[in-house]
Amino acid sequence: MTEAIKLKAKDYKSAVKPIWCPGCGHFSVLNAITKAMAGLGIDKDDTVLVSGIGCSSRLPAYVDSYGFHGVHGRGLAIAQGLKVARPDLTVIALGGDGDGFSIGGNHFMHACRRNVNMTYIAMDNEVYGMTKGQASPTTPIDWDHSKLTPHGPGVRAFKPAALALAAGAPWIARGYSGNPNQIARLIAEAIAFPGFSFVHVLSQCITFCPEQTDWKGVVNEREGPALVDADEAAALFLHEDGFQTGLLFAQQRPTWPPATAEPVVEDALDHLAATFRV
Amino acid sequence: MMNAQLAEFLAHSLELESEAHERYSELAESMAAHHNQPVAEFFRRMANEASHHLAEVTEMATGIALPALSAWEFSWPEAEPPETVSYEVLHYRMSLRQAMELALVNERAAESFYREAGKASKDPETARVAAQFAAEELGHAAELERLMAALPDSPDHQREEDDDPHMPE
Repeated sequence: MTEAIKLKAKDYKSAVKPIWCPGCGHFSVLNAITKAMAGLGIDKDDTVLVSGIGCSSRLPAYVDSYGFHGVHGRGLAIAQGLKVARPDLTVIALGGDGDGFSIGGNHFMHACRRNVNMTYIAMDNEVYGMTKGQASPTTPIDWDHSKLTPHGPGVRAFKPAALALAAGAPWIARGYSGNPNQIARLIAEAIAFPGFSFVHVLSQCITFCPEQTDWKGVVNEREGPALVDADEAAALFLHEDGFQTGLLFAQQRPTWPPATAEPVVEDALDHLAATFRV
Repeated sequence: MMNAQLAEFLAHSLELESEAHERYSELAESMAAHHNQPVAEFFRRMANEASHHLAEVTEMATGIALPALSAWEFSWPEAEPPETVSYEVLHYRMSLRQAMELALVNERAAESFYREAGKASKDPETARVAAQFAAEELGHAAELERLMAALPDSPDHQREEDDDPHMPE
């Protein structure tokens, strides 16, 4: 009998090297994901990372597992379909704040509501980096660094955790790219959670928002266990400064599809074969 | 009889050197991708040095049952291991001197970690090994200081001098 070799985090990285700007917070998330996979001993061949479009959505290429670089804002839709069809897989969707909360905002809300057993990591740098620095749904109202919004976007920023809670997400955590080991722990817990787990990562954009290097001085880990009461969580998410990190809310809820549902894949494939047989 | 303190210390040392090697390698590749060759070569050199130290610790730990810890279960003075460069202090246009200053901070942090671990340990063998590692880190720091002193004067990169990245092309 041979003993399984325990893989290290670096073993989960692919041969493709990231081209993110040096100092980008997404490096931290990449390292956190591979550390979480190593910590859980996840089989690479049973793991799929699905993304949308944007700097952060390049990430699946950098992990030595199955990956799908999808359509802008549609990573969550693809990932949910995959998980429903192949519940045996570990499915992780990921992307940025523009991809997740603007172009894919509707998918985000319904993914929270649907509660498919998977993990979503939003790498939030409050800016569209790949297109050279435009305001995103989480950009501060007075951020005036873009020529497109010289006086700031003028609209209030989304509060992703509050949005997730209102839409029904049962598990909400927040990490900071300056602390990859904390993110790794949160991602490991998120993967282990039986339901839709949302990890919101404050991931600095060193190029278009250099002021985010100040985040290190303001992020703080929330003390105490995760909230289980949605009313208390709502009060927290509406009134906090957005820099509290840790597992913030966790509540057991039935997942979709129900455990009693008939297998989806075989029926669907049979139906397709019958329909299109020539 | 198993020396639990030494095993715990060596597990941390392995993680520290492994993380340093991984991060410096990552930074070298990243800087090379952004055409900052001098800094890329320096980070590659630091990765190699961390690799040598990693091999030394690995050899020392051979035959010792180390605790199996996940990345987030290690105990460090800061968020990351002492010899790991933080992302938020990097810039693709950083000068060689700035890169060396970062590395020097890390070497000193590693020296401090090992020195304090040695002082805190009640196990003589752990204290001896920790003091040895601390002395090696001190040597690396001195070597970096020597290299920095030999650097020709050149302007360091200042963030405020960057081209405006928001200017439409």
